[in-house]
Amino acid sequence: MASLARVNLLPTSRTLASGVPLAPRINHAIPTGLGGGHHHGATGARSDVPQSFAFKSTVRGHVGRTNALPTSSSTQQRFFSSTPTKSDSHPMAAATGVHRQSATGVPDFSPYKAKNAGLNRTISYFMVGGLGVLGASGIKSTVSDILSNMAASADVLALAKIEVEMGAIPEGKNLIVKWRGKPVFIRHRTPDEIDEANAVDVKSLRDPEKDDDRVQRPEWLVMLGVCTHLGCVPIGEAGDYGGWFCPCHGSHYDISGRIRRGPAPLNLEIPEYAFNDDDEKIVIG
Amino acid sequence: MLSSAFPRLISRAGARVQPFSKARFTSSSQSTTSTPGFFGSKTAIASSTLLATGSLVWYNHLYGINLLPEASANSAGENGMHPTRQPFEHYGPFETFNHASIRRGYQVYREVCSACHSLDRIAWRNLVGVSHTVDEAKAMAEEVEYTDGPNDEGEMFQRPGKLADYMPAPYPNEEAARAGNGGGLPPDLSLIVKARHGAADYIYSLLTGYCDPPAGVKLAEGMNYNPYFPGGGIAMARVLFDGLVEYDDGTPATTSQMAKDVTVFLNWAAEPEHDQRKKMGLQALIILSTLTAISLYVKRFKWSYLKTRKIVYDPPKPARHGPL
Amino acid sequence: MAGVHDLIYRTFFKRNSAFVATCFAGAFAFQITFDLGTSAWWDYHNRGKQWKDLRAKYIQAGDSDEE
Repeated sequence: MASLARVNLLPTSRTLASGVPLAPRINHAIPTGLGGGHHHGATGARSDVPQSFAFKSTVRGHVGRTNALPTSSSTQQRFFSSTPTKSDSHPMAAATGVHRQSATGVPDFSPYKAKNAGLNRTISYFMVGGLGVLGASGIKSTVSDILSNMAASADVLALAKIEVEMGAIPEGKNLIVKWRGKPVFIRHRTPDEIDEANAVDVKSLRDPEKDDDRVQRPEWLVMLGVCTHLGCVPIGEAGDYGGWFCPCHGSHYDISGRIRRGPAPLNLEIPEYAFNDDDEKIVIG
Repeated sequence: MLSSAFPRLISRAGARVQPFSKARFTSSSQSTTSTPGFFGSKTAIASSTLLATGSLVWYNHLYGINLLPEASANSAGENGMHPTRQPFEHYGPFETFNHASIRRGYQVYREVCSACHSLDRIAWRNLVGVSHTVDEAKAMAEEVEYTDGPNDEGEMFQRPGKLADYMPAPYPNEEAARAGNGGGLPPDLSLIVKARHGAADYIYSLLTGYCDPPAGVKLAEGMNYNPYFPGGGIAMARVLFDGLVEYDDGTPATTSQMAKDVTVFLNWAAEPEHDQRKKMGLQALIILSTLTAISLYVKRFKWSYLKTRKIVYDPPKPARHGPL
Repeated sequence: MAGVHDLIYRTFFKRNSAFVATCFAGAFAFQITFDLGTSAWWDYHNRGKQWKDLRAKYIQAGDSDEE
């Protein structure tokens, strides 16, 4: 046993005529544990070993399988120097109750095997799915953050609304206020004007729109003061229809802000607005 | 060098029986013991040490020794006394501002500081939802007249303030501010907490740190002594005295209470995103650490079959039909 | 016990379409619950300091158009 040694064998490049690879220093007398399950122990010839006549060279010394795993040499010594019946069983095999022979020196990994493969599978998928869930929510918030960057900033939004006191405009008068850089016409209409706006035959208009659709309350008309033709500011209480008249190209709007004559294609635009009755104010925006 | 490049060649050539302990590392041990490479030599150790030391020395020669206190022509007094760390309620990774303190601090700013200092970057609307309600902020804004225009006649006109307007400045321009303060410019306070070394601690210490100059210190005309101010002489006089303002929540207005409140207010003005930032930081830390842990698990999971592979040589079986 | 995880596996994980759909739906649900959970802890940790704790003191009855 003192002559025990390990070698690194070269990969076999020669094959004997019998088909056996030439591996001169391998001791085929050592059981592998890979062959017959019941024929362990050092007794008897191995079934997976070629017959002795196939070898030319003689076995020299007690040399284990090589290129094996790097267990420490002290373990290896103990392993080989014990009694013949135990020498071929791996220490770990004895511990787990599985009597495995392991002349290859490869440890038995079976204790590490999952006890419950189904549970294991579910947990693994759960972890992968959890990664997906967290990743997806991260991507979602990143995208929504980027999109919210495109929205108007707080200081712009703060300027986006203006309030106009209703009491400041007597009946039959116009008020022009500036809102987001554009003029807004607010007209407190008289009952006559409301009747006039409703009397128009909607079908005859270029941009057919009922007066009811253009106002929230008939007495208050709120419009963007931008001519729909080329963006001039129309003049109030002027034109052939008693409404607005654009001096640039002669578009005539009626008392509901609808286009009646001239080059403009559409009625004057209506901005978003609401009434605040508590404070007697119109909130535009 | 050949041995390290072609270890297998060497081991093949010298394939001889050797003790197991050596055989395990046949390829590597042979090459290193027979011809020690350059990287294992003493020359390599010495030269790399020299390189490291040399680059450190060179860096220090260029930029100074960052690990040691810098040599300076200023005395400690000229740099200003280091402010004590105060137990502000918003110190700490998970702490918000105390908004009651911000509200009181705004009152101190409005009644005391705003006589000289502007707060350009804060609009009335910023106070909404932080320290005041919409109605309170609107009412405060309307007390101030703002110049707007031009109107239809092309003239500027005065109108009461709106939520979108920014805090009014006490002086129309820098020259007026200097003229009104004996040549000293009262800095804008919007970002003062970020702009001063020591941040909130410094502001608090400065406001409460006025004292008589020590013996031997001569101050220029109109200057006041404050050990926390670099140089010691500060144009601003002590402004906070006990009972100067009357808080509407009944908090006793001591000097230190007012200094604390206005410091918190100014800290908020410099970092309005503070509360949100810390909350998002908490959430991000939780999410990212969980992601890290799970990705480590998944990595191990994906690699497990590669790492537990066994390679076994299965010798050929003898022929079924008996010996050849 | 064996049935539970097997049921989960068969319901959510076995088909890739179900797996991906579960991930995306889970992302939405997770974001909402996570936000609620962290906010609850945050508000508990900073109770008495935030504006929402003080607001009631300064708001007059009847006014409700707050931000």
